[in-house]
Amino acid sequence: MITVQHLAKRFRLSRQQRRSREDAGSAQGSEVQAVDDLGFTAKPGRIFALLGPNGAGKTTALRMIATLLRPDAGQIHIAGVDALADPVAARRKLGFLTGSTRLYERLTADEVVRYYAALAGVPEPEYRKRRDALFGALGIDAFAGRRCGKLSTGMQQKVSIARTIIHDPEVIIFDEATSGLDVIAARAIIAFIRQCRTDGKTVLFSTHIMSEVTNLADDLAIVHGGKLLYSGTFPEFTAASGERSLEDEFIRRIEAAESPAATTSPTPGART
Amino acid sequence: MTLPSPVMAVLRKELLDTLRDRRTLVAMLVVPLIVSPLLMVGVARYSQSRAQEAREQTLRVAVVDPHNDSGLADHLDAQPGIEVIPDRDVTSLSARIAAEELDAAVLVDENFQREVAALHPGGVSLLFKSSDRFDQQKSRIKDALASYEQLLLGRRFAALKLGPEVVHAVRVQEHDVASAREQMGQRIGGLLPYMFILFCFTGGMYPAIDLAAGEKERGTLETLLTAPVQRWSLVLGKFLVVTLTGIISAVIAMLGLYLSVAYGIEGIPPELLSAIGQVLEPGTIAAVFALLVPLAMFFAALLLMLSIYARSYKEAVSIISPLTIVVLVPAVLALIPGTRLTAVTALIPVLNVSLATRELVAGTAAPALVALVFLSLLALAGASLLACTRWFAREDVVFRT
Repeated sequence: MITVQHLAKRFRLSRQQRRSREDAGSAQGSEVQAVDDLGFTAKPGRIFALLGPNGAGKTTALRMIATLLRPDAGQIHIAGVDALADPVAARRKLGFLTGSTRLYERLTADEVVRYYAALAGVPEPEYRKRRDALFGALGIDAFAGRRCGKLSTGMQQKVSIARTIIHDPEVIIFDEATSGLDVIAARAIIAFIRQCRTDGKTVLFSTHIMSEVTNLADDLAIVHGGKLLYSGTFPEFTAASGERSLEDEFIRRIEAAESPAATTSPTPGART
Repeated sequence: MTLPSPVMAVLRKELLDTLRDRRTLVAMLVVPLIVSPLLMVGVARYSQSRAQEAREQTLRVAVVDPHNDSGLADHLDAQPGIEVIPDRDVTSLSARIAAEELDAAVLVDENFQREVAALHPGGVSLLFKSSDRFDQQKSRIKDALASYEQLLLGRRFAALKLGPEVVHAVRVQEHDVASAREQMGQRIGGLLPYMFILFCFTGGMYPAIDLAAGEKERGTLETLLTAPVQRWSLVLGKFLVVTLTGIISAVIAMLGLYLSVAYGIEGIPPELLSAIGQVLEPGTIAAVFALLVPLAMFFAALLLMLSIYARSYKEAVSIISPLTIVVLVPAVLALIPGTRLTAVTALIPVLNVSLATRELVAGTAAPALVALVFLSLLALAGASLLACTRWFAREDVVFRT
């Protein structure tokens, strides 16, 4: 389970970032509130989608949950472990996969997975058992001895999956894991996310693609400008959208949040 | 049985990854072991052959003797490697020397014989065109003129019935108590630290860039940081690999230097080779190595800090490359005559290693000062590793975009 409460994170902008924000007509200032009072719960055996447009604060939120960034305020619990008090213990419970990550090109698939198992402190017999099972299930055996730089995108994605779960984490986080992938590689990731649910894992994934949410999500949260606009189950969200398509409902909520009135009145459906 | 601890896991992985990187192998092994020695031997041999050429070249020297009675033209003509060209056209001499038709010209004064007869110095002018290759030729002509002066002095002493030793009231005998090793240490001892400081830095440069900025650019750093290990374990593993590559590169550079000096360059005096042999005794090697290790650690921490700060591999290269010159400045300062290892210079990074190594090579190092250099380097290495670990913990550095 992942429990997030009142999460906040503020960044100081670099000169270059300030200039590009000014050019884009965004608010001026030397700091930006990337995540503001965010809270939700992702449960075991369910897939939780964090949905939002680019720059909504999804990656920052996931990085804080994965203990890569330290929040300015709030609390995070990963499978019962306080991630702020004991980040190493929290990381032991989670696997993290992003779409932008590549592999070590000069290492073989086998060496990459072994490296991450060693970092996670997996005992050798346990490692061998899990490696054999994973490599067999993902079809990595055929290219396990080849260097990652020589593998196709699809093969690399399979190795990334194996490396993410070699230590059998209870919680798995996917940060835009399908972005930049071709259809076949993206489908492998989608299948893997479903498998994680079947295995009883807690799955948290971020995306800006509504079709992925429709295909996968049991629960979802919409974030925009670092704030939570909606949090609930997928059927609830479908019911709330009425006659509108899910994409239209998503856009309606984003536009409502951007309108001047949004600062004074709560967005319909929002709950924390 | 369990897999290696996190630090060992990082060390093993990074070492494997680094040794499979062609750029690192070239910078760490090929350049110090093959390219540098070959360049050194090539430059030395070329310089030797040019010097030999200058020594053996027949010099065309015009001699203008208004009365043709000084005997100077005959004397110069009798010297090996000098061809005298009798000439009377004084006006064109400068132009002909400038055009390199002539190597030099000697003009005998109008009243040369009268001055010599009066036991005064006879005037002679030497015309030449200064250039890098003329130094050797000029000294040959001056030697020939000096022998002509000795000839005239011999005649004067004979006429005055004096022995040639009458002009020497004091006989100075020089005895250099410095051993051959000390002399070598003072003359070329500065080259050794110059070489190993350079390669210690460049050897660790590419691994440091790849292990930090490279990971950031590939996106593997983010994944690595989600591994359930302390941040310092990751930094320490990377730090050890960069330190190791720096040390290996410096040691190989030393080996290359020794092989090129011992086997590649001809004409090295046997006493110099013997002095080099003395330097290679285990005690000296151990002492130099002891200085090299903390220096490599300091460089490794510095390189990793700069590398992780960079947004990309390319930016890291552009930040770090100019530093090669910066770290060499103190090493060059150590080559300036009179710069000595003292309690103050022993505390200045890089300069202290250069000076201490020079003293160690010469066999004149004060143990207390060498110990001070070692301890100050060790403190610097420890402080820089600590700073590096803290630097890696900063979000604005690690996620700088």
